[in-house]
Amino acid sequence: MNDFLNAFEGFVGVNFWTMIFAWINLLILYLVLRKILFKPIKNMIDSRQKEVDDMYDEAESSRRDAAQMKAEYEEKMKHAEEESEDILKKAVRKAQLREEEILQEANEKAARTLKRAEEQVELEKKRAINEVKDEVSDMAIGIAAAVIERDVDKKEHAAMIDDFIRQMGETV
Amino acid sequence: MDLSVTGPKIYFEIPILGGIKITQTTVSLLVVTILLITLSYFLTRKLTKRPGRMQVVVEKLVTMLYNLVEDTMGKHNLKFAPYIGTLFLCSIFGTLIGMTQIFRSTTADLSVTLAWALVTTGLVWYHNIKNFGFLAWLKGFTEPIVVMTPMNIVSEIAQPISMAFRHFGNVAGGSVLTALIYAALAALSNLLFSWLPEVIATVMPPIFQAGIPAFLSIYFDLFSGFVQALVFSLLTMVYVGGACPPPAEENPSAKAE
Repeated sequence: MNDFLNAFEGFVGVNFWTMIFAWINLLILYLVLRKILFKPIKNMIDSRQKEVDDMYDEAESSRRDAAQMKAEYEEKMKHAEEESEDILKKAVRKAQLREEEILQEANEKAARTLKRAEEQVELEKKRAINEVKDEVSDMAIGIAAAVIERDVDKKEHAAMIDDFIRQMGETV
Repeated sequence: MDLSVTGPKIYFEIPILGGIKITQTTVSLLVVTILLITLSYFLTRKLTKRPGRMQVVVEKLVTMLYNLVEDTMGKHNLKFAPYIGTLFLCSIFGTLIGMTQIFRSTTADLSVTLAWALVTTGLVWYHNIKNFGFLAWLKGFTEPIVVMTPMNIVSEIAQPISMAFRHFGNVAGGSVLTALIYAALAALSNLLFSWLPEVIATVMPPIFQAGIPAFLSIYFDLFSGFVQALVFSLLTMVYVGGACPPPAEENPSAKAE
């Protein structure tokens, strides 16, 4: 009976060696758990938190970049519109100038042609009149000679007839 | 019927240094250590940024631990979180291992809880002296008035003892109560079968022992074990946190105890 009881510690008692074992176990557990449980998990949580923060920062900066690019693009578009308008205006003006030039040229050419034609007509008219005049004067002299059968001073009468024809010609 | 309330069984004694007794507690401590290291190893073997279910749970628990330490001790004392976590795990696993009926709860041995409580006291003293200086720490005992000095010294000594006995008492008391109830239920079973011939009655199982102790175990082992582990860790946090004030605080306030 005594032996049996001796195989147990007291219910409320302190065994120094058990305390030492408790300390050793606690120390080992502290060192090991800190290394393989607490630190890795804490680091994982922190790094994930950091990653999420970074992602949000990055998204924010991307958004800002996009907004800036959009503004730049709009600015450029506006500029391009102005430029194209400018080019169009220039082209129109140039075309108008060219048009006027062509018109003027054409007008000039037409005018020149007309003038030349008029001159030619005038010339023909003159020549025709002269011819007719000559013929008429010859005819008149002939007729007069035949009528009076007298020698007529051809020179004198020619002047007289010319006068007459001129008067006639002015009425034509 | 025999009902004896004993301490941990002594398996053998190493006959050096005045006899190193290897008891049930020693074995349980070792088992808890191996269990916790193995568990931690498997839980943290494959940590990924996109956690699986297990990792989420473990991360949640670790986050809770760090939040608790931050709330109780302050952000500057987060370095204590692994120790507090280890202490909590040692305590709760040490208590729960008693439920296996193979091993004895480590916390049902006063040696263990006293050892842990002395670590707390050691940390408090070390950080008090480190942060306030040895003389300021000694002077702290004379505050608020010199007459209080003996009281302060007594309370300083009482602190680890009360911590150790609180934890030990709860767990050991629970196990004693459980043993008593088992015995009572066995007696009740015997009473039930007493009308049977003696030959049959002795081989009948103590049927009342089935089921009923489980409900008591929920309280005495699970609930009480959790509460005591929490209380022990919280007290450690409060005491050590008191010895480590925030770095910005200039006035070395005496430790109120």
